[in-house]
Amino acid sequence: MTRRSCVAVVLAIAAVLPWLATPYQVTVLSFIGLYSMVALGLVLLTGVAGLISFGQAAFVGIGAYAAAYLSVALQWGAAATLLAAVAASSVCALCIGRLTLSMGGHYLSLATLAWGISVYYALGQIPALGGFNGLGGIPPLMLAGVSFASEVPMYYLILGCLCVGLVLVRNLLDSRPGRAIRALRSGAVLPESFGADTLRLKVAAFAVAAALAGVSGWLHAYMQRFVNPTPFGLNMGIEYLFMAVIGGVGSIFGAVAGAALVTVLKQQLQDWLPGLLGQAGNFEIVVFGALMLFVLARATGGVWPLLSRCMPAAPPMDTGALAGTALVPAQHGNGPDGEGAALLSVAGVVKRFGGLTAVDSVSFDVRAGEVVALLGPNGAGKSTMFNLVSGNLTPSAGEIRMRGRRIDGLRSREIAALGLARTFQHVKLAGDMSALENVAMGAYLRGRSGLLGAMLRLNRAEEAALRQTAARQLARCGLSECVTELAANLPLGRQRTLEVARALCADPALLLLDEPAAGLRHAEKDELARLLGQLRDEGVTILIVDHDMEFIMKIADRLVVMRFGQKIADGDPGDVRRDPVVQEAYLGA
Amino acid sequence: MRRIVVRFALVLAALAAASAHADLNIGIVISATGPAASVGVTQQRTVPLLPRTVAGEKVNYILLDDASDTSTTVKNVRKLISEYQIDALVGPSLTPNSLALLDVLAETGTPMISLAGSGAIVEPVDAKRRWAFKTPQSDTLMATIVVKHMVETGIKRVAFIGFNDAYGEGWWREFSKLAELRKLEVVANERYTRTDTSVAGQVLRVVAANPDAVFIAASGTPAVLPQVTLVERGYKGKVYQTHGVANNDFLRVGGAKLEGTFVPAGPVLVAEQLRDDHPAKAPSLEFIKKYEAIPGAGSRSTFAAYLWDASLLLQDAVPRALKQGGKPGTPEFRKALRDAIETGKDVRATNGVFNMSATDHIGLDQRSRVMTRIEKGSWKYIGE
Amino acid sequence: MDAGTFQFLLQDGITSGAVYVLLAMALVMVFTVTRIVMVPQGEFVVFSVLTVAAFQQGLAPRLAWIVVGAALVATAMELAQRWIARDAAGLAGRLLALLALPLAAAALAVWAVDQSSPYAWQCVGAIALVTTLGPPVYRIAFRPLAGASPLVLLIAAIALHFLLVGLGLFAFGPEGSRLPGFTFEGPRIGDFRVSAQTVVVVAASAMLIGAMLLFFGQTLAGKALRATAVSRTGARLVGISPDSAGELSLTLAALVGAVSGVLIGPATTLYYDSGFILGLKGFVGAIFGGLAGYALAATGALGVGLLEAFASFWASAYKEIIVFTLIVPVLMWRALVDPHVDEEAA
Repeated sequence: MTRRSCVAVVLAIAAVLPWLATPYQVTVLSFIGLYSMVALGLVLLTGVAGLISFGQAAFVGIGAYAAAYLSVALQWGAAATLLAAVAASSVCALCIGRLTLSMGGHYLSLATLAWGISVYYALGQIPALGGFNGLGGIPPLMLAGVSFASEVPMYYLILGCLCVGLVLVRNLLDSRPGRAIRALRSGAVLPESFGADTLRLKVAAFAVAAALAGVSGWLHAYMQRFVNPTPFGLNMGIEYLFMAVIGGVGSIFGAVAGAALVTVLKQQLQDWLPGLLGQAGNFEIVVFGALMLFVLARATGGVWPLLSRCMPAAPPMDTGALAGTALVPAQHGNGPDGEGAALLSVAGVVKRFGGLTAVDSVSFDVRAGEVVALLGPNGAGKSTMFNLVSGNLTPSAGEIRMRGRRIDGLRSREIAALGLARTFQHVKLAGDMSALENVAMGAYLRGRSGLLGAMLRLNRAEEAALRQTAARQLARCGLSECVTELAANLPLGRQRTLEVARALCADPALLLLDEPAAGLRHAEKDELARLLGQLRDEGVTILIVDHDMEFIMKIADRLVVMRFGQKIADGDPGDVRRDPVVQEAYLGA
Repeated sequence: MRRIVVRFALVLAALAAASAHADLNIGIVISATGPAASVGVTQQRTVPLLPRTVAGEKVNYILLDDASDTSTTVKNVRKLISEYQIDALVGPSLTPNSLALLDVLAETGTPMISLAGSGAIVEPVDAKRRWAFKTPQSDTLMATIVVKHMVETGIKRVAFIGFNDAYGEGWWREFSKLAELRKLEVVANERYTRTDTSVAGQVLRVVAANPDAVFIAASGTPAVLPQVTLVERGYKGKVYQTHGVANNDFLRVGGAKLEGTFVPAGPVLVAEQLRDDHPAKAPSLEFIKKYEAIPGAGSRSTFAAYLWDASLLLQDAVPRALKQGGKPGTPEFRKALRDAIETGKDVRATNGVFNMSATDHIGLDQRSRVMTRIEKGSWKYIGE
Repeated sequence: MDAGTFQFLLQDGITSGAVYVLLAMALVMVFTVTRIVMVPQGEFVVFSVLTVAAFQQGLAPRLAWIVVGAALVATAMELAQRWIARDAAGLAGRLLALLALPLAAAALAVWAVDQSSPYAWQCVGAIALVTTLGPPVYRIAFRPLAGASPLVLLIAAIALHFLLVGLGLFAFGPEGSRLPGFTFEGPRIGDFRVSAQTVVVVAASAMLIGAMLLFFGQTLAGKALRATAVSRTGARLVGISPDSAGELSLTLAALVGAVSGVLIGPATTLYYDSGFILGLKGFVGAIFGGLAGYALAATGALGVGLLEAFASFWASAYKEIIVFTLIVPVLMWRALVDPHVDEEAA
C-alpha cells in the first residue's frame, strides 16, 4: 500500500462518514474541519516560518463578521461574502503584517496577542455588528442553487474547503517561494543571503494563514447562523496554537491531527467524567490539561509524526526528472566584466563595535577571474570583513564596490541580487529539507513564480528547471548520490560542500567562501580544490577565507593577510609566505 | 452527591424497552466554567434537586457545561438533541448563547426554557422564537422598577457603569431607553471588565459628573469593585445594582460599603419578608429550604431559582402534553410540550406567576419583581 | 483634567502597574533560567489570595489537598523514573522538595492555621502552601520536556494553566474574595495622600527588582542559573544541574507570586480565573524588557498600569482596545532598538 492510496482511503472514509454517524457527530466533524483550517495556517506560520501567532482567532472573527454583516444587512450572496471574508482577513493581515513582522521572536508573539485582544473588544463595541450580544439571522448558505443549510451538506463543504486548503499549502511549500519561507525558520540570515526579502515572505505567509482563517470564519458564520465575539477571542487564539503544536507543526497534516485530537477529547471528557468522578465539579479542563501535558511529554514534535510512522513512507523523489537540460536563465556568471577588471574593491573600510575596532582601514581588490584568499590568525577580522562585503554588517567608514557599484550599506539580499553568493562559517542549511531543495534555494533569484502561481501549480515548468539546475550543481560538486538526503543527515564535510553547491546555483559573479574546507577529509579537500580550480577556469571570481595553508596554496592566485583588523600583506602566495611580518603574525607573540 | 445519571440510565431504559413508557429526557446547558461560572455553578448545584418523576414518567436530566462560549453551547445542544433525544432544553445561562440556539431549536422543533436575562431571546415571538421561552425577568422589567424607583425618589441625574460585555450592553440598551422616556438625565456611561483590578478612572468620571444616583450594571462579586471605589472616593449619593448581584457572596465581599444600595430582585431573594398571600412566597420558601440544604451551597441564589422555575414550568406542562397522546422522544411530543408551556396558566414559581401566551414567552408580570435595599448586610424588602 | 484627578489616576496606575511589575519580574526570572514563558504565574498569585480568604472565612483550605495530590504525583513520577534508571543519587534531596516540604506545608495549613489565627500567620500559611507547589509542578509539567523548544514549553505552560485554573475553580469556587486592607496611613505628597496600598505594593516591587538584579547579576548562583538557559549541556559540564536550576526558579516564581497575592489582595477582588489577565499584563511588561532585562520589564509593566488607568478615564469602553493597540508601536520601537539578532529557531 502506498502513501497515495492511504490518502485516498482516508478521503473515502471522510466522504462516507456522514452516512454512518449521528447528526451530532457530523457537527463535531464539521467543527474539526473548521479548526483544522485555522491550525493549517498556524502550521505554515509557526512550523514553517517560525512565527508564533496568538491572533489567528481574530482573523476567523473578521471573516465570520464580514459574512454575517454583509449577508444580513446588505443581503449579499454567499459567493460574494466569501470573497469579502477572504479579502477582509487578508488585507488586515497585510497591514498588520507590514507593521509587526519586522519584529522578531517575542515581540511578534506579543503583538499578535495584543492584536487578538483588540479585535475581540472592537467587534464587541460596534453596534452595527450586534455588539457583545451578537448578530443573528444569517441566511442559509446557497451556492449555485444548492442549499448548505443542514449538517451533512455543510460538512461536505467544509471537507472540500479543508482539502483545497491542504493542497494549496502543500503546493506552496513545494515551490520557490515555499522553500524560501521554509528557510525562514533558521533565521533571517540564510534567506536574505540568497536574495529573498524576508519581510515580504513573512507577510505573505501571514496573509495566507489569515486567508485560511477567514474562510474558516465564513463557514462558521453560515454553519451557526449566528456570530458573537466570544469564539474569536484570545482563548480561542491560544487554543488554535495549542492544536497546531499538539498535532505537530512540522507537517500540514499535523493541523488536522491536532484539531481532531483536541476536539474529540473535549467531547469525550464531557461524556466520561461525570460518570467517573460523579461530583458536582467541573474537571474536564483539568483532565484535558493533564492529558495534553502527557501527550507533549511523550511526543514533543506532536502527534502526527507518530501517526505518520504507521503509514507507508512517502515515495522517494523522482530523480529521473532531474536529468533534463531545461535550465533557468543564467544570471551573473561570465558577466561582461572581462579579465582584469576589479570586480570587488574594498577601500578604507573600518568597522567598530563599541570600543573595539574589528576592521581598521582595510583596502584590497578582487579582480574578475581571480581566486583571492583572505588569511590571518584568529581574531584578525576576516569573518567581519566577509560580513561587511556580503551586507550582513554595515561598515563604520570606507567604501565597498562591486562592479563599480557601491554596496556598503546595502542589505544582503540586494547584494545577492547584484551577483554575490556566499557560504557560512557555521553551516546554515534547512535541515529538514533535502539536499536538492537546499541547493535549489540558491537559485531563488533566477526564478520568478510567486505565491499564487505556486499554490495553483502554474509554476511547474520553472520548478522543473530550478530542480534540474540544482541537480546540475550537485553533480558538479560531487554530491549526486545525496540528492534526496535530508540535509541534517549529511556529515559536516558534505554539508559544507552543499553550501558551495547552493552558492553556485545562484550563478554568481562573485563567490564568497567562509572556511569551506573546515571539517573535510583529505580526499574531500582535494575534490574541493579541484572544483574551485575548475570554477576559476570557468571565470568565476572567488574570495575565500580558510586556515588550511596547503589547501589555499593549491588554489589561490593572491593572498591578503589580516592581523588585528589591519591588512599586513597582499600579493603572490609565494611572496606572502616568505614575508617576515606574516610569519611573525602567525608564529610570533 | 451524584451528578445526574447519564448513560447508565439510558442504557437501563433501553434494556427495559419492553416498557410502554419512554423516559422523559431534559437537557440542561449551563455555564459552569468560564466568565459566567458564578451563575452556572449555582444552577449546576440545583440539578440534583429536580424531581425524578413527573406525571408518572421517569425524568432523566442530562447536564452539560458550555464554558460561557457560544460555539460550545451549539455543539452541546446538538449533542443533546441528536444523541439523547431530549424533549426540552433548559438553559443556557447567558443571553448570546441563547440567541445562538434559535436556529437549531426551530430546525429540530425543540422547546427551550432559557435562563438568560435579555428579552431579545423571546421577543418578538416569530417563527424562530416560537420555540424559545425564558424564566428570568427580562432586563426591561427590572429596568422599569429601577427607573420607577429613581423617579419616585426624586433622582434627576444618573450615571451608568456596566460590564463591557453582553450583560452590560443589554442593560444599557434597556436602561437608556427608559431613562429617556422618564426624562432622567444620564450623565455618564462607563464600562469595565469583570477581571479589572481597578476602576479608578471610570469612578473619577462618574463622580465628576455629579450624579444623584449611580446605576451599576454588573453581576456577581465583580459588581462590588465600582461601588467600593465610589465610596472610597467620597461619593455620597444613591447606588443601584442589578438583580445579577442577588447572592450572599456579593454581600460578603462588599461588606459595610454596600449599606443602602437598592437592588431590584425576584421575590425569592426576600421570600420570608413577602406578605403571606404573595403567590411566589410558598414556592420560594420550598426552593430555599431545598437549596440551602445542599452542603457548600451557601444561601439562596436567584440564578438557581430560575432553573427551579423552569422545572416548575415543565412540571406544569408535561402532564398536559402527555395527555395530548404524545410519546416522549418524538417530535410530536416536543411540539405538544411547546404548546403546553405556551398555554400554561398561573404557574406559581419562585420568581412570580407565569402566564405564557402566543405573544408572550416570558409570562411574568408585576408580581415578579420587588425592590430591596441592603441594610446591615442583608436584603430588606421595600416594595414592589 | 485637574491636578487632583491626575494625581489620583497616577497613583492608581502606579499601584496597578506595581502589581504587574511583580508578575513581570517572575516571568523574566523563569524565562531567563528555563526558557519557559510561565503562563500560570497569575495562578500562584490568585491561589495565595484565595487561600488566605478561605482562612478568613473559616473554610478548610482546599489548596492543601491539591498540593498533597501534586506532591504524590510528582513523587510517583520521580520514583518511577529512578526505578527504571536504577539511579538513587540525590534521591533524599528530591524527596524533600517533592514530598516532604509540600506535605509539611499542607499539614501546617490544615492543622496550624484557622480563622482565629492572626492575619500574618494566615498569610504565612498560604504562602508556604503555594511555594511548596513549585517543585512538584516543575517535576510534573516541565521536567519531562527538558530541552524542548521554547514553543513546546509555551504550550506546556498553557496546558498547565488550564489544569491549575480548573483546580482553582474546584478549590475556591467561582466567587471572588478580597483581603482586609492595610490600615496604616500613607505619606503625603503635596496635598495628596498616598494610599497605604500603593506604598506597600511599590515598596515590594522595588525591593524585588533590587533583589533580582543583585541575585542574577552579582552572585555566582544567579549567574549559574542564567547560564543554564543558554546551554544546558554547558551548564552540566561545569557542574550545574539544569533541572535543579529550573526547579529553583519555578519555586522562586511561586514564592514571588504568593507574596504578590498577599500584597494585592486588599486592593481588589480576585477570582479563580483572574490570574490569566494579570499574567498577561505582566507578560507585556516582560516582553518590553525583551524577556531579559528586569529594569526594562518593570518599566514596561508600570507603563501598562499607567496606560490602563488613564485609558479607563478617557474612554472606559475602549480601554482594552487602547491599551493593546498602543502596545504595538511600543513593541516596534523596542524591536528596532534591541540589538538581538533574530536567530532563534522556533
